[in-house]
Amino acid sequence: MNVQFINPFVEGVDNVFETMLGMKPKRHQLKVSGSLPDDVQCLTSMIGISGEVSGMVALRFPEATALALAGRFLGNELSEIDDSVVDAISELVNMVGGSAKAKFDHDPPLQLGLPTVVAGAKYRVKYPSKSILLEVPYSSDAGDFAMEVTYSPN
Amino acid sequence: MKALVVDDSLTIRRIVIKALGMAGIQETAEAGDGLEAINALQKDKFDLVLLDWNMPKMSGIDALKKMRADGFKTPVIMVTTEAEKTRVIEAIKAGANDYLIKPFSPDQLAAKVRNIVGAPAS
Repeated sequence: MNVQFINPFVEGVDNVFETMLGMKPKRHQLKVSGSLPDDVQCLTSMIGISGEVSGMVALRFPEATALALAGRFLGNELSEIDDSVVDAISELVNMVGGSAKAKFDHDPPLQLGLPTVVAGAKYRVKYPSKSILLEVPYSSDAGDFAMEVTYSPN
Repeated sequence: MKALVVDDSLTIRRIVIKALGMAGIQETAEAGDGLEAINALQKDKFDLVLLDWNMPKMSGIDALKKMRADGFKTPVIMVTTEAEKTRVIEAIKAGANDYLIKPFSPDQLAAKVRNIVGAPAS
């Protein structure tokens, strides 16, 4: 398992959260999956990466964390999940993916897709069996969240 | 002075508009993709365009190429997650006046805006 692959994404989270939100989330032990409980209502924002390597980075937020982060991002207090919250967490994963892909510095550059958000409880994002999945749990002032990175070398 | 803010993310448009305010630009219009941006430029006069790269319908780089091909000379700052040198060079060659990589702070964007349009009148 090439854990080096995840480092640009970890640096991406650090960079994006510090620059855009003024936060330093605490990173916990890398896992294979399952750091957040299944029965919590969550929003998962994900974005695909393609090129010399292909994969996806996803940020999974319990609703309370998503609300707190989006409120901080937009500069106002939010009380319900609406389009602005979905947009804010989409942009977070977009910037984490962009930041990571720049660190890979492939020529031609890797391609970034457009972000997608899934909402609900008791769902799992599944990936093809040949791909490698790594999960990084975080805690922060805004609550817990997790980053999932999956990739397959082409 | 009026700026056109082009990004498919409402969140980023809010942050860019805040930075424009810090640079003394209060009048703004918004577009969610490259096509909307071209339409806006055809209907209205702008002093500055802030342009994302990855957007649905028409990307920022394609919109920039079309703007320049159509003769629009409005200064353009690319504001994008596309951070590779090849991307920056591509944008500058296509006619971008400056380039800001996301994530960014409003201060960074305001400084770039002031460089292009000048400091606000006191």
